[in-house]
This record gives sequence, structure tokens and C-alpha cells, in this order.
Amino acid sequence: MNLIDVYIYEVTRRLPEKNREDIGLELKSTIEDMLPEEYTEEDVKEVLSELGNPAVLAGGYNERPMHLIGPKYFDIYVSLLKMIVPIAVVIAFISVLAKYVVGFEQGDTVLNVALIVLGEGIWSIITVFMQVFFWLTLTFAILERSDRSKDEYPRTMSLNKWTPEDLKNTSYIPQNRVVSKGYVFGSLLWTAIWGTIYFNADHLAGVYENAGNGLEFILPALNQAVLNSYWQLIVVVIGLEIVFALTLFIKHQWTKKIAIFNLIREVIGLIVLIFLITNANLFNIEFLTYMSRIFQSTEEQIKMFIIWLTLILFPIFSLYNSFEGFRKASR
Amino acid sequence: MTYTVLYTVFIFGGDHLSNLLDSLSTELRRGTLTLAVLSQLQTQQYGYSLVQLLEESGIAIEQSTLYPLLRRLEKQELVKSIWDTTESRPRKYYILTDLGENVYEKLKEEWLKNSKQLYKLLEGEE
Repeated sequence: MNLIDVYIYEVTRRLPEKNREDIGLELKSTIEDMLPEEYTEEDVKEVLSELGNPAVLAGGYNERPMHLIGPKYFDIYVSLLKMIVPIAVVIAFISVLAKYVVGFEQGDTVLNVALIVLGEGIWSIITVFMQVFFWLTLTFAILERSDRSKDEYPRTMSLNKWTPEDLKNTSYIPQNRVVSKGYVFGSLLWTAIWGTIYFNADHLAGVYENAGNGLEFILPALNQAVLNSYWQLIVVVIGLEIVFALTLFIKHQWTKKIAIFNLIREVIGLIVLIFLITNANLFNIEFLTYMSRIFQSTEEQIKMFIIWLTLILFPIFSLYNSFEGFRKASR
Repeated sequence: MTYTVLYTVFIFGGDHLSNLLDSLSTELRRGTLTLAVLSQLQTQQYGYSLVQLLEESGIAIEQSTLYPLLRRLEKQELVKSIWDTTESRPRKYYILTDLGENVYEKLKEEWLKNSKQLYKLLEGEE
């Protein structure tokens, strides 16, 4: 086997068809120039190692870049990735959650559903991440190769060269007012969880007992029919929470307006809760009986205890939450 | 134990230093290669003779850089090439075009001006 020909083949096969012959011929004559009159295989190897890796040599001849995304587009590529991936991931997870909230089947336990949601959620997050990553990278790799403009200035979001005017589009956010993506995701997750439990309370919220083969749901604490009769109000509260989380996500910081929105949201939530908790038929009688047996008190006492605990704790949380909003906004 | 650590740090540090120096001086040289090649193409040269000419003047150039560079210069119409098939082995000769000579003169002036300025800067340091 002729090492020289193989080397030339290794270079030229990486080049555009039209250049192959010429570059191959030149390379051959160059290699022969470098060799002594009578040469051995060792001489050939020495010469070829001087010429170096054929892929690198071919890369030198090629006008196409030897990278997927170069400095010109790298910054905008990473910025877009950072912007799109969290949104896509959150949407993917929430849609998995929503699927199971809507399609909740009788007889399923919370643990079971939570595990399924977690498993499928993680899987869909990975899938969505790969999809976004792949398509965005592909787009930019094509952009990099189809760009015929000669300049090498790194591009900004407007795909033009940077000018001081671009600073006007930057939303400058002091670090202590920033809302983290984790916070937004957490509050969306919280909404999804309590929404799920609310509309499936008759087989999620209640008494669980260990009957040998894991926790088993014995009796519901609340009256699902009563819960369901408030559905319009609850949908409003859930809607407010989602809009609020998305507003935070888009604005990315606490402002006075957002703090006021937060306050209104908390107040509405609290009013709905008070309506709900004071409904005479909210609690399942069997549940109250069960509890009164455990705590050795009357059913009425148990009921009043839960009502008062709710009426004291929730306003404290709401107040604290609203106050925090204003505090963060004024920093 | 301490000695081993110190020794390791020393070796690593030395290695790091020489790597850094290598990459910085490669960077310094890179921009001058075009000028060096253009300067030697006032008379016609083939690839390997050019390598030898440059090496004689103490300019080390990777061959995998030189041949693609020649081709790029040809595409930019700074040099032209002719296949000489009269000799025992066909060779591709390169020589400056009119545009190439023009550009070479301008680049040369630019380089001399820059190196004078840099020289002043470096001497002033001492």
C-alpha cells in the first residue's frame, strides 16, 4: 500500500470535489520534493508526519469553518438557549402534570400519581431539552455556514454589529430584585399540586392507613361535591396564580405593580378560602367522627379547631407573602 | 509529603509556563506569515522551495499552514500559479501578481512602521 497516495486521499476526500485533483497533484509533487532520491518507508513516514494530520491540512484548505458555531454567533446562540430552554422545560413539565390532573383515575394513590408524574416529567424535560438544543444548534450551524458577509463582528440579538444603542434594549435589573426561575417554577408547581389535590380531594386528601401493603386511602376528609360547587372561583384563583407566575417570569424582577398584583391575588385567594372553610358541609362527617375518636373530643370541636387553625395560619402566610412582595419591589 | 506537593507544583508550573509561552509566540508569529510568504514570492517558487527559503531565514512555518495559505492568496488574486510540466516532476509555481506586489509593499510599510513603534515602546520600558 502506498502511504503517500493514502495520505493524499485522506486529505482530498475532505475537500470539495472541484479542488481535489489540483490539490492532490500539488501535494504529491510537494511530498516527492521533500523525499530523497531513493527513499524508504521510514522517510515517507517522516515527511508525512511533518505535514501533519490530514484532517488539519484539509481544514486549512477548506473555506468552510471547522466548528459548528463560531465567535460571531456564539453569544447570541447561548443567550437564546438560556432563554428558550427554561420556558420549554417548564411547559413540558406542566403539561405532563396537567395530563394527570385531568385524567386522574379513581383508586389511584397520591404516591403512585406523584411517582408517575415525576418520572414522566423528568423524561419529558430531557426530551424537550434535547429537541430545543438540537434544533437551535442546527439553525445556528446553518446560519454560520450560509452567512456570506465577510466581517467577523460578534452579533447582537438584532443580528447586527453592536452599537451603544443596544444598551437601551438591555433590561438592567439590580441583583436583589431579580426573581429566580426556580421561584417561578416552584410557584407554578405549587399551584399545580394544590389544584390537583383540590379537584381530587375525595381520593387524595384524607386518612391513610398502613394496611400491610403500603399506605391505603381509607376515607376522604372533605366533601368533593362541596369543593366542586366552588369550581368557578377556584379556576379564577388558579388562573390568577398562573398569570402572576408568568408575569414574574417575563418581568424577571419585583416591581411595585407586581407587588400590588400579588396583594390582590392573595386577598382574593383568602376570601375564597374563608367562603370555603366556613361552608357547613365542607367536612366529611365520617372523617370528623374518625378524628374525634382519635383525639377524644367532639366532632364539633375538631371542626372548629381546623377552621380556626386555617383562619389564623393562612392570613399570616398571605400577609407575609404580600409584604415580601412590596419589600422586594422597594429594594 | 510537602516536598512531593512542592515538586509537583514546580513541574506543573514549568509545564504551564512553557505551554503559555508557546501559544503566545505562535500568536505573535501568525500575523507575520502572510508577509513572509509574500516577500519570497517576488521570484517564482514552488511549495517546498518556499519552505526551504523561509527556513533558511529562520522562519519556521508549519507546512500544513503554508500550502493552504498559498491557495488562499491565489484566491485573493495576490499570487498566481503555473503548473510547470517540463521538468521530470510536475511542479506548481507561485509568483506575485501586480495586485500582490502592490499589497506586499503596503503591508511591508505597515509592518516596518508598527515594529518601529513597538520597538520604541519596548525600549522605553527599560
